[in-house]
Amino acid sequence: MKALFRWLSSYWTILRRPSVHYSLGFLTLGGFIAGIIFWGGFNTALEATNTEQFCISCHEMESNVYVELQDTIHYTNRSGVRATCPDCHVPHQWTDKIARKMQASKEVWGKIFGTINTRDKFLEKRRELAEHEWARLKANDSLECRNCHNFEFMDFTRQSQRARQMHSTALASGQATCIDCHKGIAHRLPDMSGVKGWE
Amino acid sequence: MKLSRREFAKANAAAIAAAALGLPAFSTASNLITEADMTRLDWNKAPCRFCGTGCGVMVATRDGRVVATHGDIKAEVNRGLNCVKGYFLSKIMYGTDRLTQPLLRMKGGKYDKQGEFQPISWDEAFAIMAEKTKAALTAHGPQAVGMFGSGQWTVWEGYAANKLMKAGLRCNNIDPNARHCMASAVMGFMRSFGMDEPMGCYDDIEATDTFVLWGSNMAEMHPILWSRVADRRLSQPQVKVAVLSTFEHRSFDLADIPMVFKPQTDLIILNYIANHIIESGSVNRDFVSRHTRFAKGADDIGYGLRATDPLEQKAKNAANANTWSDISFEQFAAFVKPYTLERAAEETGVPAERLKALAELYADPKRKVVSFWTMGFNQHTRGVWANNLIYNIHLLTGKISEPGNSPFSLTGQPSACGTAREVGTFSHRLPADMLVANPKHRATAEKIWKLPPGTIQEKPGFHAVEQSRKLKDGVLKVYWTQVCNNMHAGPNIMQEILPGWRNPEAFVIVSDVYPTVSAQAADLILPSAMWVEKEGAYGNAERRTQFWHQLVKAPGEAKSDLWQLVEFSKLFTTDEVWPAELLAQAPQYKGKTLYEVLFRNGQVDQFPTSDMAEGYANDEAAAFGFYLQKGLFEEYAAFGRGHGHDLAPFDTYHEARGLRWPVVDGQETRWRYREGHDPYVEKGSGVQFYGYPDNKAIIFALPYEPPAEAPDKDFPFWLSTGRVLEHWHTGSMTQRVDELYRAVPDALVYMHPDDAKELKARRGSEVKVISRRGEMRARIETRGRNKPPRGLVFVPFFDANKLINKVTLDATDPISKQTDYKKCAVRIELVSLA
Amino acid sequence: MRSLPLLLVLLASLAHAADYPLDAPAPDGRRPGGTLSQERATPPLAEDENKDLKRERNYPEQPPTIPHTIRGYQVDKNGNKCLTCHSRSNSAKTQAPMISITHYMDRDGQTLAAVSPRRYFCTQCHVPQQEVKPLVGNDFRTIDQLLQDEVQRAGQQQ
Repeated sequence: MKALFRWLSSYWTILRRPSVHYSLGFLTLGGFIAGIIFWGGFNTALEATNTEQFCISCHEMESNVYVELQDTIHYTNRSGVRATCPDCHVPHQWTDKIARKMQASKEVWGKIFGTINTRDKFLEKRRELAEHEWARLKANDSLECRNCHNFEFMDFTRQSQRARQMHSTALASGQATCIDCHKGIAHRLPDMSGVKGWE
Repeated sequence: MKLSRREFAKANAAAIAAAALGLPAFSTASNLITEADMTRLDWNKAPCRFCGTGCGVMVATRDGRVVATHGDIKAEVNRGLNCVKGYFLSKIMYGTDRLTQPLLRMKGGKYDKQGEFQPISWDEAFAIMAEKTKAALTAHGPQAVGMFGSGQWTVWEGYAANKLMKAGLRCNNIDPNARHCMASAVMGFMRSFGMDEPMGCYDDIEATDTFVLWGSNMAEMHPILWSRVADRRLSQPQVKVAVLSTFEHRSFDLADIPMVFKPQTDLIILNYIANHIIESGSVNRDFVSRHTRFAKGADDIGYGLRATDPLEQKAKNAANANTWSDISFEQFAAFVKPYTLERAAEETGVPAERLKALAELYADPKRKVVSFWTMGFNQHTRGVWANNLIYNIHLLTGKISEPGNSPFSLTGQPSACGTAREVGTFSHRLPADMLVANPKHRATAEKIWKLPPGTIQEKPGFHAVEQSRKLKDGVLKVYWTQVCNNMHAGPNIMQEILPGWRNPEAFVIVSDVYPTVSAQAADLILPSAMWVEKEGAYGNAERRTQFWHQLVKAPGEAKSDLWQLVEFSKLFTTDEVWPAELLAQAPQYKGKTLYEVLFRNGQVDQFPTSDMAEGYANDEAAAFGFYLQKGLFEEYAAFGRGHGHDLAPFDTYHEARGLRWPVVDGQETRWRYREGHDPYVEKGSGVQFYGYPDNKAIIFALPYEPPAEAPDKDFPFWLSTGRVLEHWHTGSMTQRVDELYRAVPDALVYMHPDDAKELKARRGSEVKVISRRGEMRARIETRGRNKPPRGLVFVPFFDANKLINKVTLDATDPISKQTDYKKCAVRIELVSLA
Repeated sequence: MRSLPLLLVLLASLAHAADYPLDAPAPDGRRPGGTLSQERATPPLAEDENKDLKRERNYPEQPPTIPHTIRGYQVDKNGNKCLTCHSRSNSAKTQAPMISITHYMDRDGQTLAAVSPRRYFCTQCHVPQQEVKPLVGNDFRTIDQLLQDEVQRAGQQQ
């Protein structure tokens, strides 16, 4: 412990001492550039973890949720515009994103220890995992849905009668948010007993 | 029909008066039509026309037409429910292309194999049929004529056909399409129990804790039984459902233990479970020692292909496939020992934990288990084995013949049991489980039929697949099919069936209600009556015999298959078709027609038309002058009464919602072989499998053997075929109902999306499905009800414009001769991307 | 050029097959007559009709067909998507038709507190309809049409 302290304090001394060899300008500029490189690198790395490719590099994701997604309209549809995992599951705002990424460390833990490494284990956990996502979307007023499906720009005349009816009332008044009705649109549902609207 | 009848009449009268210009005007309608008449519907019971579940329906008629149907709330089977097909039954008879007159191919006023179909009279039709038949018999003997019938024949139609062929024409070349459907189930029962048909019944569903589906997609193919399974599973928390298949389908929606296994490896799973039961000490020792014995069946039995096929020549026991030798329990245990969990998981592709959970369901002595299977087991080159192996499991644990413990073989046709099996319309069988090869059985039949000894031929006739081959080879010259569509549903159309039927040497007669693919390939088309256009009887999968009355008339000159068979028999005299030495034994039959010998024999014609229930038409009784159906039924019932196949008196069935045989002293039997339920079981014995003289069932040691054809470099996909919920079999009826057609208009190639991607195709792309035998075109479906694993495609067979059976392989189980429609190798080629 | 392999296959199969024609004229059914040996082009996959308009039933006992698409609707042991609109408690909110009273009855006709599990799998009876024309017609006549006929006949006799 003492040795560690001595070692650290020697570095501290170096850092405190003014530079003898380099100009202030060089140091400032150099620090700025280094900062950009570091920051850019961090964000690049962060973005790399924010792709579908990264998500489905784990077989837990690939052979469970991703397979299910492929059947759905969020994967294949008329125009070919599609949602990837992070579009719905990672907040687009930087601070929220970092918060979500820190949460994800638990998922890495789960991966390492094989919490859901078989289909049956995954199915057992599915309700819990789904509830996390429902709660998050409920709390942020279905933010990740609305990133693409903006209420302001919905043309009700292009919607089916049922959709028009619900969107122009419950959704418009803020009574309900997307996730209240649209559970299970991208993945299979867990046991829904006791879930509101599914009684 | 709640609105005031008078108002209704007036409103309509006014509307018609306004609309129908030029018609004589009438002042009021009400003075002509009384109120009660306006809205009264005649309701009568009938079994559903479609699958082997045997649901009861109520049929409403008015003005000689069926106007409504609904599920019969009094019917035990379905209690008021129908599936979507059943709810649309009313419309199946009214397709605009109904056949209404006999049609013969002609050129220049004469029959010509390549001629155009021209309407002819029934007399002309029978005349050319008789001419062709007599010519074939004279030149080549009885083996030159053949008949292909059906598990949709009514009981008496099958019986009359069987008698006309096997006794009248002395020809055993009669086989039902049920050969394609449950012949393996029959042979499974016969080998394990010495007696056909399930021991349990549908009541098992409400009494069990566990359902295991072996390759059966009940959610689509037996929806009403599935509703009973769902009812049980969802209302009782302890109930578990395990579903096994080679691809994921709708039944997986209810599965607690879903399992997708590699084709053919079900044999490994079955043997693994037996091994698990033994190794975990779960054998019901008492039951096994008292009620079972062990045998080792012949292996390396071939694949039922043509004898020239290398696979057949290589097979050691192709000639004696249905043989076995006694072994001990210890030998059996040693036989299944190599079928370990590790091996099973490795070779089947099913996760070990699921296989173990499945085995535990059977092994747990506190759990009751019902196993269901249909075509996944039966349409299998080792289908008889699969049936035997499932009985092994139930026998080892004693989970059989009691409420809730039931190995249950489902059927696909409404009378596969009632007609094909019980009446014995197979090429090797006689009524009540008897065999043509058994001299005692032949003697019994000849005695009941009042025929001279030696009338019935000893050698089994050509079975379904062999019939096609014999037509192609020019051996069969005259071929008559009724109530089936083999050009559509039979295997390997391009290499066998089509060249067979179109062989200039063959004369093919098709009795049908619509211009099916088979009718289009025929030389003579006979228009048939269907369902409630005739009096009928069906027997469902749980041994339930159900009757219905004729409720409406057939259109035009269409006649029932029964009338066709019996009327045709008038065109032959015994001198023409029987050898002199046979006739010498029965001089009283000399010069008589087959009609007189077979149907005016003092038995079939013993009931006068006055015996008929009042208020119902009966076109056959009217035509022949006696109650033909009753006479045929009572003569047929003589085969089984007192022999474990007892049927109730004829009239009882017109009252009851069906009864499950054996019906003894007016009581039906729900669980056979079990004391207290089955009157044939001796007091104090508990259980008796009385199909065998020692009252014991056989547990069979049978190995895994590979399929006849498997994917390779050139044909990399498995092909499995089957049905969909909305259409029944070849869709002749259901595809003519708008609502059912619009629900599922086309057969699709169900495929894994990654396989599609690799083919540079996608959902909706048009592809060719090509095998070594033929090809067909259809569109890809990558989502929806069926989700095949990579490397397997599923194509339903209902679609007349997309004949998947041009592609399938005519390999059969060598014991049952039933085709394996679930496994062959194909290649997929992209035709157009969208 | 695309038809060359097709032609080759055709020639090969002709050489291989019997020396007599496999097709012969026949009446049209679902399949046109005289086409058995041929391969038929397939129609593109059709859309489900999605107009939310109730359709006429042939008779009152008939289950209504589904007037909208049900793509991705999950009905399994975990949940029933259909009931999220059509159940008693949700139908007012969604203005979807409530499932009928029969759906609450058990095998013995007793009404239960909730939807009877025997009616759980909706698509056993209710099916969507695709935008396609039937292959052959059907001249089933409803009871109303028959009654009109009766009235008409009565008029003619008068």
